[in-house]
Amino acid sequence: MRPWLILIAASLPLCAQLARPIASYDIRATLDADKHVIAGEQTLDWVNDSPDTVPTLQFHLYMNAFRNSRSTFFRESGGQLRGDRAAEDGWGWIEIRSMKLEDGTDLTPRIQCIAPDDGNRDDCTVIEVPLPEPVQPGAALRVRMKFTTQLPKVFARTGYRGDFHLAGQWFPKIGVWETKGFRYAEKSGWNCHQFHANSEFYANFGDYRVELTVPSRFVAGATGELVQRTDDAKRGTSTYLFVQPSVTDFAWTAQPGFLRFERMFEAAKQTTQEELSAAAKLHGLRIDDVRLSDVKMIALIQPEHAEQTERHFHALTAALKYFGLWYGRYPYRTITVVDPPHGTGGAGGMEYPTFITAGTSYGAPADVLMLEIVTVHEFGHQFWMQLVASNEFEESWLDEGFNTYSTGKIVDNVYGGTALPLMVFGRNLWSWLRLPKLTQASMDRAAHVGYPVRDPLATRAWEFYDGSSYSVNSYSRTGVALRTLEALLGEETMARVMRAYHQRWRFRHPHSRDFQQTVNEVSGRNMDWFFEQFVFGARRLDYAVSGIGSRELGEPVGVFEKEGKKETVTAKEARKRDKEREKRGEKAQHESWVKVERLGDGVAPQEIEIRFRDGHVERRMWDGAGRWAKFTFTRTAEIESATIDPGRRYLLDVNFANNSRKADYNTALSTQWTLRVLFWAQNAMLWLTALV
Amino acid sequence: MLPLIGFWSGLGRAWARKRMLALYWVFHTLCALGAALPLMAVAAPELGRSRLGDELMRQFDLAWLAEIQAAAGESAAPAVVFAAAAAGVILLLGGVFLAGGAVPLLAREDVAYSPEEFWRGAGRNFWPFLRLALYSLIPYAAAYLLAGLAPRGAEAVWGEGLEERPLVWAGYARTALLIALWGLISTAMDFAKVRLALSGSRQSLRACLGSLRLAWRNPGVMFWLWACFAAAGAAAAWVYVELAVRLETGGAPLFVALVLLQQAYVLARIGLRFAAWGAAAELDPILRPLPAPEPAPRAAEALDYQI
Repeated sequence: MRPWLILIAASLPLCAQLARPIASYDIRATLDADKHVIAGEQTLDWVNDSPDTVPTLQFHLYMNAFRNSRSTFFRESGGQLRGDRAAEDGWGWIEIRSMKLEDGTDLTPRIQCIAPDDGNRDDCTVIEVPLPEPVQPGAALRVRMKFTTQLPKVFARTGYRGDFHLAGQWFPKIGVWETKGFRYAEKSGWNCHQFHANSEFYANFGDYRVELTVPSRFVAGATGELVQRTDDAKRGTSTYLFVQPSVTDFAWTAQPGFLRFERMFEAAKQTTQEELSAAAKLHGLRIDDVRLSDVKMIALIQPEHAEQTERHFHALTAALKYFGLWYGRYPYRTITVVDPPHGTGGAGGMEYPTFITAGTSYGAPADVLMLEIVTVHEFGHQFWMQLVASNEFEESWLDEGFNTYSTGKIVDNVYGGTALPLMVFGRNLWSWLRLPKLTQASMDRAAHVGYPVRDPLATRAWEFYDGSSYSVNSYSRTGVALRTLEALLGEETMARVMRAYHQRWRFRHPHSRDFQQTVNEVSGRNMDWFFEQFVFGARRLDYAVSGIGSRELGEPVGVFEKEGKKETVTAKEARKRDKEREKRGEKAQHESWVKVERLGDGVAPQEIEIRFRDGHVERRMWDGAGRWAKFTFTRTAEIESATIDPGRRYLLDVNFANNSRKADYNTALSTQWTLRVLFWAQNAMLWLTALV
Repeated sequence: MLPLIGFWSGLGRAWARKRMLALYWVFHTLCALGAALPLMAVAAPELGRSRLGDELMRQFDLAWLAEIQAAAGESAAPAVVFAAAAAGVILLLGGVFLAGGAVPLLAREDVAYSPEEFWRGAGRNFWPFLRLALYSLIPYAAAYLLAGLAPRGAEAVWGEGLEERPLVWAGYARTALLIALWGLISTAMDFAKVRLALSGSRQSLRACLGSLRLAWRNPGVMFWLWACFAAAGAAAAWVYVELAVRLETGGAPLFVALVLLQQAYVLARIGLRFAAWGAAAELDPILRPLPAPEPAPRAAEALDYQI
């Protein structure tokens, strides 16, 4: 047994029941901190767990996305991503110096760049290597590689600035062999997509052992547990050994200025017996099954953000607790959060297994929860991107969107809403002005409503209409869709659905249909109509109350049969009868009507609430299929208002303003609004007067 | 002491023109209404018919703004921008027009207030004041660019430094410099208006440059005078916010109280604007006395001489 396997074996007791390793890496990497170059050697142990014979290997060389402006990544992004811009002199690349099989067969000359997604000959983010002998089902393959990685200036989740280094997507990484019938595979083959602007990653699970050599003055952090650190005083370097079984990737950071802090998440202290009992009862489990485990939390903080250290730990603690209680315990022993320095926005807010980057700013006010939101969100990826490990290239909503939904619930639950920064000399005026705090739910809905429905949620990341469509659909709209699903199924059922999905598909790379099946099965309801329209389709949901009204029903006029004789009631006689009825104190009957309309192409059953002036409330159901429907009522009281979807279950509805209509125009309300706007106009005028 | 003298004198002059204050407020409000109504018509015509409108009065919802945009379709953005721009022009012209009426009456304590006098001044001074407003954009823009050099310089020096602190402090310096410069320019423009109104001159550019020169020569007086009014304005804003937040969540009676408070705040701000013009009128003769008129030729002496 290789020595490092002993280390992994030693860590297994606490990480039992993890994934079967398919692609395991043993890497030795040395950072040249002046040139920002990583010289690496790696041994890949890959297992063919399919029934196929595999004739080739495919690898991701993600770093080549930053090689030049002709890569697919640059063509798609135009050198701008996530509010960050690529530096003109900060190119990055990766080269494989050699690739050999265990028997010494040199595969290096066989390496060729391929572009399976777009045929771009200038893109070399995927390589293919024909093997001299195909890998038989169940067989293992060992490949030794030497590579050199030039980090780019920080851009798109990786790179350097000054002496800060974040190494993500930095080593040759094998693709995923998908046998026919696995996920969407129509035939067996490699699932190895090029690096696209709007895409993250997909990989098999494996065990990682990484020896990382950096200058001794650097503080390093990485995926997994730090097993040992060896200093070489002569060379002025330190070698860190990190080990982590059952993960899909490995990233690391190094910077001299990092302040390193540690705290323990002590499960027994962070969760009460009541919380455990409630979780166990909800999911039909024993209390021991929902208990969480202790986790070492590590924070690498910039010195100028030292006073925000506890905010990082508080957010991590909240995330560990609620993700654990809701979906299942976090199975790893560490989580490292990195606080990138100023000017490295592209490195912030990123997730890797057991290793995340957050991001804050100097003097960030306590009421602006950006630090907390990002930290909880990036940690949340451990449960979706990492543990469930769906294909982010092809179904980003299953990671980003599920995580947006989960994160929003935790942040709103633990912190309430956030203020926005309205900074004047380091003071945030938002709270002083008592402006309302914004919840994650509200912000997600604002993003959903503000951007047209152009793509299904389940769209391949690089095939969205544009970058905004990718981000709105993958994040916010999915969050809104899942909250809608929660409202339709009920909160408890949804909680059971999410846990069942997570537990069932942990380490198994599910796809969208697997989630759909889980929803139907756990809820006992067929929700296919929801998925076909709002996940696999791009339907726009908008129902409106388009009109309401009432008219008094007076005595009827005309010719009537009465006791076998024809009786004619004239208008004059009818008015007389009306007056007599009024004298008797009887109220006239009113015919009231409500017209509801489907303005979008999304169809969903709707409830309509009708209120009458005497306080009576009627409810009607409408299947929502037609373009419109009319409901009539005969009562003594006139209609006061009508509301479609009064419980606001359909958060996907793009317009709540038209969901209700009142018979009387609320003059007081519009006056109040106008007076408010008037006040701001008066002040604006005074500012102008003060200046000119 | 001069700034304080100017400040107190300005307050006194504003207090003495209470009827003008009321008139100014009425027309100021009408101008603002001219801006507010189209904005409301574009933004939320259906709010009064929707139950969401009631909810939004209780709790602002960010998504509602997005809904307005979505409901109005792609035409909403240009309409709102146009309405906002039109509102801005209305407010600017209204502000300049009303200032033309108020400044002469604040500058000349010997003239009794009457609406006729106010409107006469508003009409007479409108174009010179408007030109002055347009000319003043140049020093404001220059000050903006000048203040922007601070963070740019800091960034150039800082390069790829990993700390944000120096840049944040450079940002503070920029803001402070910008506020100070704009305060000086604003005060200088008050002096320019007073000069234009008192002299009956229509030479706005000359008044603008002359007042900037005055500010350049007396930066201390100008800055502290502006600071006095800025402090008073900040105090009024603080009082307003502290009271307003207590009235925000109430029912109809409290909303009425809130509206009254808002208008009291607007009146206070108008009063301070009056006081600033009054202060300029008080200090202008001290800081740059008008040259003594040349003595008229003594006709009799000349006659005698000739004789």
